[in-house]
Amino acid sequence: MFRTVSITSFIIVFICIVIHWIIFRPKANELFGADRRLRIFDPLRFLVFLLTLLFIPQKLTLIGVLRKLVYLLALLCFVVLFITGFFLKLVLGQTISGYWLMLHATFAPIFAICVAILAVMWAYNCRLNKKYWPWLQKILQQDMTDSVIPRKHELAQKLSFWLIVLLAMPLILSIILSMFTFFGTHWQELLADIHRYIAVLFALAVVVHTYLMVIIQAKR
Amino acid sequence: MKIGLIVTLALLLITPSLSAATKPAGTLLGDESDGSRAQPNHLIELFPEDIDPTSFELVKGDKIKPDIDESSKVLLPFSTKWTCSECHSYNTINKGWHFNAADPNVVPGRPGQPWIYFEARTATQIPLSHRRWPGTFRPEQVGLTNYKFTKIFGRHTPGGGVGEYDAEDAQQKMRQYISGKLEVNCLACHNADPGQDQGGTCGYSIQVARGNFRWAAAASSGFASVTGSAEDMPDTYDPFDPFAVQSAKDGQKSPPIITYHKAAFDNKNRVLFNIVREIPAKRCYYCHSNLYLNNGEKTEKWSSDEDVHLKAGLTCVDCHRNGLEHDIIRGYEEESTISQNPLAAATSCEACHQAGRLGAPVPKHPGIPPIHFEKLTCTACHSGPWPGKRTQLTKTSRAHRLGTPNVNKSDEVLPHIIAPVFAKQHGTIVGYIGGAFTLVNGKIAPHKLIWPAFWAELVDRQVRPVALDVVKQTVGEVFANLELPQTGNWPNLSEENITSALASLAKAIEGKAVYVAGGNLYSLDDKGQLQKQQGHQAAQPYLWPIAHDVRPAAQSLGVRRCEDCHATDSPFFFGTVTIDSPVISDRISVKRMVEFEGLSPVYTWLFAFSFVFRPWLKIVAIGSCVILAGILLLYALKALASVAKVLAGKD
Repeated sequence: MFRTVSITSFIIVFICIVIHWIIFRPKANELFGADRRLRIFDPLRFLVFLLTLLFIPQKLTLIGVLRKLVYLLALLCFVVLFITGFFLKLVLGQTISGYWLMLHATFAPIFAICVAILAVMWAYNCRLNKKYWPWLQKILQQDMTDSVIPRKHELAQKLSFWLIVLLAMPLILSIILSMFTFFGTHWQELLADIHRYIAVLFALAVVVHTYLMVIIQAKR
Repeated sequence: MKIGLIVTLALLLITPSLSAATKPAGTLLGDESDGSRAQPNHLIELFPEDIDPTSFELVKGDKIKPDIDESSKVLLPFSTKWTCSECHSYNTINKGWHFNAADPNVVPGRPGQPWIYFEARTATQIPLSHRRWPGTFRPEQVGLTNYKFTKIFGRHTPGGGVGEYDAEDAQQKMRQYISGKLEVNCLACHNADPGQDQGGTCGYSIQVARGNFRWAAAASSGFASVTGSAEDMPDTYDPFDPFAVQSAKDGQKSPPIITYHKAAFDNKNRVLFNIVREIPAKRCYYCHSNLYLNNGEKTEKWSSDEDVHLKAGLTCVDCHRNGLEHDIIRGYEEESTISQNPLAAATSCEACHQAGRLGAPVPKHPGIPPIHFEKLTCTACHSGPWPGKRTQLTKTSRAHRLGTPNVNKSDEVLPHIIAPVFAKQHGTIVGYIGGAFTLVNGKIAPHKLIWPAFWAELVDRQVRPVALDVVKQTVGEVFANLELPQTGNWPNLSEENITSALASLAKAIEGKAVYVAGGNLYSLDDKGQLQKQQGHQAAQPYLWPIAHDVRPAAQSLGVRRCEDCHATDSPFFFGTVTIDSPVISDRISVKRMVEFEGLSPVYTWLFAFSFVFRPWLKIVAIGSCVILAGILLLYALKALASVAKVLAGKD
């Protein structure tokens, strides 16, 4: 059941991203600038280029550097947690155990800290202002002339950020609470299921958020 | 007309088969309960096994009268086969689990306790079983005939099994005519009379050791005394001939003679038995007792707790149930896949406790991740002695003759059984495919362990134990002057001792002489030098799971904290398993529990070490959640404030 649901979800989201990329992909000039030929015909450099888009332009202040580092560390942890958490279950159909479990449990607290720090650092920039709700402004008959028009996909990116923050809590709590002697076997199994299913949603949210960040940065 | 005839004929054919289906053929009075839960009265006549003077076959004899004139007829012991089979289908009962070990059609299931033949003089300790449990040897492989096997081990059986098999050759047939067959001793379990004597000085075990198989059940009954020994009688002795018996009585060696306590018989020569369906635990204990020797501290009855189920008021047979077939439930997880007992699936630990049967508390297992139930048996945490830094020596009724006369009470007495060893089960034998058995379940469970020590020959790379008689003649002779400890412990064998014994044994066998001990295989090379092969497959220890005594939840492993097991020095993973061997040089080596659990020692250590950081993990994770919750709350309130502002018309 879990395997079917999660594999299907990942495939659907992947297909949606591909379709979205095809429709909304930035033009080559926008993306690569002057040396576009070199980047198009060099897959490795292309990949590196896409990754660099994740380096959010920041002023090189202490906070800016910290924000970049935390974000990259969180991404690294996410990749490790994604592989260790899903590989055994989705590919081999086994419950996570052994070294996989140890790796997962080692990177999980680091990821939890990173998500918490990023939530604090990004929350302000991810506020949902009235500019994102023009239809609401119309209903309320408010003046929109001085509003700044938001960039494309900005709303989706911010929503995915808040979704990540929202899902992170049950994701962490479901596994931490099972380590206390509060819950019996039935609840332990339920908590494990909650952790698994929320992990799928969380992973999808992270993938979508990362993709949207890349596409927004590319367009910028 | 024709149709009517056909219908009539068909009805005539069907009617008898229908009536036969309602009541199985040969069902006896006591085979089927009428539903009453009252204890049935067993005021019954006794019948012996006797010889038919015309056919010379052993048949059901005349009713026993204790005041018979013994000059004209021998007073015979009552036969459970002929007495009990008046009302109970004996030939169904004697195929039950306690009696069917040698039946090749019976699937052996989960490995169980073997019979252990041991002899300090020849440094032998070998697990035997008629069931095909991997790691055990069949008695015939070490030259034990059914008669010899019964004589040695029958003391702790309820009779039946190979003790009831027909003798193999003419010589043994003559001996079996004298000793009789060891019939199923129904009284061993079902007689609740306190006079039932299994291990007394004239009781069942002594009679079996004397070869008085025919007399053993009667001697145990509490209302008969048996003297003499069938074993001492010559091959020509006729136990049914009054003249032969009288002559033997007058001789130097006394024949087996039974005397009934006449007060036990009523005026119609009937005897009242206190037969119970619900067998008292004390009866089971005769064969199923354990004594753990923890660093000189014995788990004496007064100093140790019994199984929690018994203390809760249950008896053994409340879980280990059987019907007429005596296909008793052993109680392990996969038993229902092979057992014919319809209650097998509902009577495992899990089945009873999940359903709350008999008042069983439904386990909550708070804080224990469900993965534990995939990797561990229930007994891993709940049964046997609490694991210590080092395994303990253990005694069992069957291995150490507990409850029989003249038992050596020394702690070090052979055989050496080691417990508790937490090991991954080899699996339950659930069937045979082309001669090979199939296994299921490989959970970690507490086990008892024995390191085999035996003399063998190497033929086609196969290690085959040498017949015990041959070993006695060859090795026994070499070790004749070896000092044997009074405690019944191993002699101290040096490598020189083994070299000379192997050289002696090699002359008596065709293959290459080898000695297995302490997990090693010893042999002589072409130059006559002793070679030691460590970890040889044939030298692997034999393990069987511990089921009892079950400890209550409050005393189970993991009840205090995860570190009961997940610590870098926890006995569960890193306890020391003693390597037992008569060879002095073997005794210095030890094994760790983790080596028996099918786990990587490095991984297990790292995983255990990670529990040092477990509290920090919890703090960090909960702290992160608090921050995330704070952020969400903060911006949710801000959003609410914005909405309120808009709705107030201020924006």
